[in-house]
Amino acid sequence: MRILRSEWLKLVSVPTTWILLGTMLLVEGLAAGLVTGLADIEELRARNPATLLIGTPLSTVLIFTLGALLATNEYRHGTANQTFLITPRREQVIAAKLAVGLVVGVVAALLYIAVNAGLALSTLSNRGVPVDGDLAVDVYSGVGVGLVLGCIFGVALGALLRNQILTIVIGLVLFLVRGVIALFIGTDVGKYFPGEALLAVQGTPGTKETLLSQVDAGLVLGATCLALAIAGVAVTRYREIT
Amino acid sequence: MPEITVERLTKRYGETLAVDDLSFVVEAGRVTGFLGPNGSGKSTTMRALLGLIRPTNGRALVQGRPFHELSNPVRTVGASLDASDVHPGRTGRSHLRTLSAAAGLPNSRVDEVLDMTELTPARDRRVKGYSMGMRQRLALAAALLGDPKILMLDEPANGLDPQGMRWLRDILVALAAEGRAVLISSHVLSEVEQTVDSVVVIGAGRLVMQGSLQDLIAGDSRPALVRSPRRDELRDLLEQAGADVTVDGRSDRMLVHRASLEQIGTLAAEHGIPVFELTRALSTLEDRFLELTGESGNVR
Repeated sequence: MRILRSEWLKLVSVPTTWILLGTMLLVEGLAAGLVTGLADIEELRARNPATLLIGTPLSTVLIFTLGALLATNEYRHGTANQTFLITPRREQVIAAKLAVGLVVGVVAALLYIAVNAGLALSTLSNRGVPVDGDLAVDVYSGVGVGLVLGCIFGVALGALLRNQILTIVIGLVLFLVRGVIALFIGTDVGKYFPGEALLAVQGTPGTKETLLSQVDAGLVLGATCLALAIAGVAVTRYREIT
Repeated sequence: MPEITVERLTKRYGETLAVDDLSFVVEAGRVTGFLGPNGSGKSTTMRALLGLIRPTNGRALVQGRPFHELSNPVRTVGASLDASDVHPGRTGRSHLRTLSAAAGLPNSRVDEVLDMTELTPARDRRVKGYSMGMRQRLALAAALLGDPKILMLDEPANGLDPQGMRWLRDILVALAAEGRAVLISSHVLSEVEQTVDSVVVIGAGRLVMQGSLQDLIAGDSRPALVRSPRRDELRDLLEQAGADVTVDGRSDRMLVHRASLEQIGTLAAEHGIPVFELTRALSTLEDRFLELTGESGNVR
């Protein structure tokens, strides 16, 4: 609990955390509100429920970045020295960071859903565009799980790589060029890649035929996070802090 | 048992030998200066003691045990390796709270160490607005959080103004007087010579000497700095006595080699020559180190 509290304090005591979360909510709110409020009604009917996913890729990138910072700030700013002096069992520190990443992911997902549902669902309802409740729950569940796993993915990748810029660049490549990997190496293998699995988890329209099911993709992404986390813990235990 | 034991410690990074068969001990109740030129292996040795890096050979022990085997590391060792090791976006207080939380210490302890390091007025300012001296104080505050028996500080005087230097000297001496072992590294002898009781001098990763400050100074051949309104007259007398004298332009200063302070003072008094200043000229540890070893202090 001590280490968890410390990691939580580390997260909430830097402005970047609030800037990233605030940006996510602002972008999501603007995207959801403007698209559902201004787009042609027939188009909205045709795209339903994809409209609810407006802003999801950027939100995922921002939350991934937050997770990556949670792990790599220690090395970027040299605080790993003090951290590992106070807690020589380094695996406990990484475990606490992953746990905090999980909590942040859940909080971010709930905020995302609250903003999206509050703006998009109410605007669509006011404009007479029906939204299937079951579909909306599926979309929000997928988006929520995607955000949580995106954050954990950032923490785990950061713990493994340590270098902040490298971690964020690799993460952005995975998230921004997702779909491209499957295109080049084929969907049979490509669908198991993190970016493609994330697309499937979040129920991105047009992916059902080519990518994994939401549940399978969630399991694949979760397993990827777990593998990265284990590798991150192992590397951190034996890594020299210079 | 010594508080710190370094036993035949060797650390190699690829082809670079950072620490080479180094052995020394640090006792409680003393301020020990860990001296050596830049790149001589001081920080590497401290990191080995703190379990942050693994020795290639030998042992680095705290209270007879490797750091990771200490039952309560926070209460045993407080360390500051780099005053810049802090997130610039945090306030001084929040930085310390992240550490005290991990150590299971109450928030009141954070306020205590902020008071001790005279940072209370700046505690809610973001660290990016701190001067180097304030960061040094914050680093010391972090090291003191657990009220440890051993303090290890890497170049704690860097960036301190004269007032800060005096403050650091006083607090380190007071901490040692409470029975703590204090190990401070420096590459500038003059920075620590008024603070330390004993010294460990290394160069190129090897032990050059360990002993009291007096042992180090005993062989001091730094020139004497002399100021006198009758400089030229005193210079002639000193040269007749066998000293080498270098005059400093038209000022009243000169540098005197091959004569002790006592010899110079006595000679001036015997001839009724007033002396305004008589002291050892400041020199860096590199100078002293080169005197001791007669070779380059660079890491091989």
